[in-house]
Amino acid sequence: MNPQLKGVEQLEGTYLFDLASSAKALRLNRFLHGFTVPANRALFKETPEAAFDKAGLTAEERRMVRELDWAALMRYGASFFCLEKLGRVKSVSNPEMVAGFRGESLEEFLKTRNVPGAR
Amino acid sequence: MAKILGGIGTSHVPTIGGAYDRNKRNDPDWAPLFRGYEPVKAWLAQRKPDVLVFFYNDHATTFFFDHYPTFALGVGAEYAIADEGLGPRAVPPLKGHAGLARHMADSLVNDEFDISVFQDLPIDHGVHSPLTMFWPPSPDWPGKIVPIEINVLQHPIPTPARCWKLGQAVRRAVLSYPEDLKVVIVGTGGLSHQMNGERAGFNNEKWDRKFLDLIARDPRKLVAMRHADYIRLGGTEGAEEIMWLAMRGALSPRARKIHENYYLPMTTAMAVALFEEPMQKVSASGKGGARTSAKMSS
Repeated sequence: MNPQLKGVEQLEGTYLFDLASSAKALRLNRFLHGFTVPANRALFKETPEAAFDKAGLTAEERRMVRELDWAALMRYGASFFCLEKLGRVKSVSNPEMVAGFRGESLEEFLKTRNVPGAR
Repeated sequence: MAKILGGIGTSHVPTIGGAYDRNKRNDPDWAPLFRGYEPVKAWLAQRKPDVLVFFYNDHATTFFFDHYPTFALGVGAEYAIADEGLGPRAVPPLKGHAGLARHMADSLVNDEFDISVFQDLPIDHGVHSPLTMFWPPSPDWPGKIVPIEINVLQHPIPTPARCWKLGQAVRRAVLSYPEDLKVVIVGTGGLSHQMNGERAGFNNEKWDRKFLDLIARDPRKLVAMRHADYIRLGGTEGAEEIMWLAMRGALSPRARKIHENYYLPMTTAMAVALFEEPMQKVSASGKGGARTSAKMSS
């Protein structure tokens, strides 16, 4: 246990990205990180299954990515900063992803913000 | 000798760069953000630093979890703008000060800070999202940078105390560089935000305001805190505030906060604070200023 983090486990709805989650989701995060390369984005947009095959994703990993199941991806161990790249490829904004984590619609989430238009 | 003119703490959320790129200056939703950076931009235009040393974090862009560096110093002469999924921003490549960076690597390692180094890699919004607000390219960047990456993504991340000490070691490294360079230290990240779980969207303006006060007045209080405290008070990504501690650690105790702005429109509290070191007296002849300043700051 990292003494710096003692107490964090008491925070609800918080998924800390540590070495255990990093190891568990390494293949998935590597696939998402790959969206920094235009050729990988093109392959994913044209034939997603071919991109999944190339990355060796499991059936569950494919389902979460295909359905943009942000909450499940997060629980699985995806790094937000890798998911952010999937968001850009699929034209999903960060507020929409955050709404997904919270189990809200984008409209519901925006009602909780100070300046809903600042996107 | 090189001297440190001051420091800047700033958020680096990508929408800051996005607002600049889409020229949202006169959009009422974004105008308060632009206004908040104006005094920083004016100060830099007046003081004309040669180099900005950046404590920032990568966002699993330049680096991946197959080897995620805790601290990494950029020693290159140029850094491409990273492609984060949409193609790179339409701004020029960042210019690195390789001479200062190599000296800093020597100095840090001899100071028992065994830092890793990188070159010829692209850099993401952790540096250039806020940079365009206060040091815009017109058409090229006004000067050079030295980037220092800090891992805040994959725990264990360095402690607040270690980041403070890194800042102090960077100060010693910069001030021992023989060339007459004017340097400003920048720390990017925060303030309160959380980008995961049902707690995503968490903010805490009260804590953010306290942080902005303590970072100027009593940074040791912040240095003594644990990551669990930062995460509880400012969200998981609020832990990025350790980059501000590194920046503050690189300034002298006499540095004064001369400007700050706070704007919380969406999910990330966007703050900027400007710190200035006491002005160094220039002798009547106008010469010898560098020697005086080196003495004053050592």
